[in-house]
Amino acid sequence: MLTLAAISKGFPGVRALSGVSLEVRPGEIHGLLGENGAGKSTLIKIIAGAYTPDEGEMSFAGAAARWSSPREAKQHGVHVVYQEFALFPQLSVAENIFVGQERRNAFGLVDHARTRREARELLQRLGVSLDVDASVSSLSVADQQMVEIARAMVRNVKLLVLDEPTAVIAGREVALLFDLLRRLRESGVSVLFISHRLDEVFAICDRVTVLKDGRLVGTHDVADVTRKRLISMMVGRDLGDLFPPRPAAARTGEPVLRTEGVAVGDRVRDISIELRAGEIVALAGMVGAGRSELALGLFGAVPILKGTIHLGGQRFTSMSPARAIRLGVGLVTEDRKSQGLAMLLNIAANITGPALSEVARHGLVDRRLESEIAAREIERYRIACRGPATKVATMSGGNQQKVIVARWARICRSVLILDEPTRGVDVGAKAEIYRIMRDLAASGVAILMISSELTEVMGMADRVIVMREGRVTGELAGCETTEEGIMHLATSECAA
Amino acid sequence: MTEAIGIRMEMPWWLRSHAGLAGVIVLIGVVCLVGMMVSDRFLSFNNFLNVFEQTTDLALVSIGQTLTILSGGIDLSVGSLISLTSCLTSGLINNNPDRVIPVVLAVLALGTLVGFINAGLVVVLRVHPLIVTLGMGAILQGVTLLYALGPVGRVPRSFNFLAYGRLYGLPLGATIAVLLCLLIAFVLRYLPLGRQIYALGDDANSARLVGLRRTRILMLVYGCSGFCCAATGLYLAARFGAGQPYTGVNYTLASITPVVLGGTLLSGGKGGVIGTLLGAFLIALLNNLLNFMDVSKHYQLVAQALIIILAVSVYVDRRGMA
Repeated sequence: MLTLAAISKGFPGVRALSGVSLEVRPGEIHGLLGENGAGKSTLIKIIAGAYTPDEGEMSFAGAAARWSSPREAKQHGVHVVYQEFALFPQLSVAENIFVGQERRNAFGLVDHARTRREARELLQRLGVSLDVDASVSSLSVADQQMVEIARAMVRNVKLLVLDEPTAVIAGREVALLFDLLRRLRESGVSVLFISHRLDEVFAICDRVTVLKDGRLVGTHDVADVTRKRLISMMVGRDLGDLFPPRPAAARTGEPVLRTEGVAVGDRVRDISIELRAGEIVALAGMVGAGRSELALGLFGAVPILKGTIHLGGQRFTSMSPARAIRLGVGLVTEDRKSQGLAMLLNIAANITGPALSEVARHGLVDRRLESEIAAREIERYRIACRGPATKVATMSGGNQQKVIVARWARICRSVLILDEPTRGVDVGAKAEIYRIMRDLAASGVAILMISSELTEVMGMADRVIVMREGRVTGELAGCETTEEGIMHLATSECAA
Repeated sequence: MTEAIGIRMEMPWWLRSHAGLAGVIVLIGVVCLVGMMVSDRFLSFNNFLNVFEQTTDLALVSIGQTLTILSGGIDLSVGSLISLTSCLTSGLINNNPDRVIPVVLAVLALGTLVGFINAGLVVVLRVHPLIVTLGMGAILQGVTLLYALGPVGRVPRSFNFLAYGRLYGLPLGATIAVLLCLLIAFVLRYLPLGRQIYALGDDANSARLVGLRRTRILMLVYGCSGFCCAATGLYLAARFGAGQPYTGVNYTLASITPVVLGGTLLSGGKGGVIGTLLGAFLIALLNNLLNFMDVSKHYQLVAQALIIILAVSVYVDRRGMA
């Protein structure tokens, strides 16, 4: 159905894919495995026509395919469901399904009644019951995903690409999705299923391809491959190399931050947790469980609606970023581009950003002092760059992340919160960031790490707090943590 | 807040898309109530026709603006385009009745063309419409001043009919504005390209990923806005008898007000032209009321501004704000 031969693609500063070949057969479910930063996203954007490859050939349904736009790929029957979806939140379910393929009447006008009727029929065929008039923003994430798949059906899909579809749904919803994918396979549709959960690959895929660092590691029949083999293909080294050794004896100190019944935003309710000096606590859960909202609340970036925070010996019912910084709390946000770094400024300015008073003399910024501090941090965290004056926008994701971690590590005395600290970061930089976190903890800082990667949680955390639907559903000590244990707390249908 | 949502959930599907109209209708009701108390002539049919007539220019230009805002953009060249087209109308007709029809057609074509150029620049240069149309506005104002430094030309009596004429007792210009509004409402509801304006304004990235033709949509949207400006220019030339180079200046910002009052989201993706028409009517009605109350023009501006801020604060989504 789809054949990729020696595809390469580079971006300024990064080589995202080099010489990757892949074949998806008609009517198979093909798994695509790889860590974050392995090149999965780039690959599917090429298949979707959103990127054009620098080198290599692609053919689809027996003909050479050189797509210059997503529109062209769609016309040939390739439909991609992205992790962040391509939906229109204010439009109705029916309108979202038929957008660009409007149902018309004899006069060529949009036939609203037919649109709604056909949308209802289509959803019925997919086995989901949704109000076709509801606006998509009012749906659950799982239902939004169904709307995306329904939209693919309208366009006579031949190859359906799903980008980590299970990252946002759980339990019964996953079963429903898999059921649907199997039925699609029977009707001759090929599916390219991107994931980093091995269980799912074994549950649904016929064959699996592993990418690592932008290169093809191999393609195997799922029946011929073991779980262990896949892990070593994905990671390419022992986990021990990636994560720094834990200190022999856990030396956790006094509680530095404690919350009581904290509520933030629409969902996060009744959070009572405690962080102790020198420990690394992972905050696990599904995407959308409210972990990031909680982090923003603790840092004061969004208002706390209820409850109290005990920090630095004081009791607060509200928090602001300025106060949090003064009390030695730092936050590395999930999205470094839009919420963390000033992309157009240089490294020095980004590092000293939240602590300008330190580099000010007579109320003015002392550029030389600023650049000296930056040079020291560049050295300490092995940030690859030409010097303190390098613009952050020109650096690779891993190095950008190191800049932002360096910023907070410098001024953070009591608590550092990191939201998905290694997302979109290559393996080398990952190991560095883990080392920095371990060092900080050893110096007495409490670290709260939000992570959706279970290997990361298990490799780093002294303690794991699991959240689901805005509430804490359980807590696991580092030594008793298992993948299954976390997933159970993160997804179980009945409240724990 | 939750009650409001509850009401929306129970509304039939065809009414939901008009939910934004509720605000402007209530406000019109309030102004009418106050008017009734101020003067018994306020609610008379003649006064209503009078206000209807005074709605024309603002209605025409804001109908076009609605489309650009719905699509997630804005058109800041409207004021200058109105100035240019009004000058060209009277300057080219120059009191010659034979030239009326060709000049009207040429001016409408020019307005549409300017809109196409705006859309083309947005697509080709990948610059936000705000910047493109701001620049286009400056260029057009310059061109207008090159053509005329003061009132230019004259229009014949037959052309005045556009501004002062009555059709079956209804003011002609305002009736045309209403018909244009209904036509565009039809386009928005029943043409695939019209539906896609909402999609583009709702989420431009999703629109790209599902393969909507952004260029076509923007051509339609900015072409319409340009056409509406040209129509406004024609109307103003007819009303004042001659075009003036600064006659459109105030319309750039003024054209946004009825759009917002009519329930269209400034960020795009939700709203419609019927609301805009009612919004323009509300502003004319308010000015009329203030005239009845002998409030000076200056206070009228202040009152207008307060109403806008109030109206927007009612529609705005406050989640995530402290």
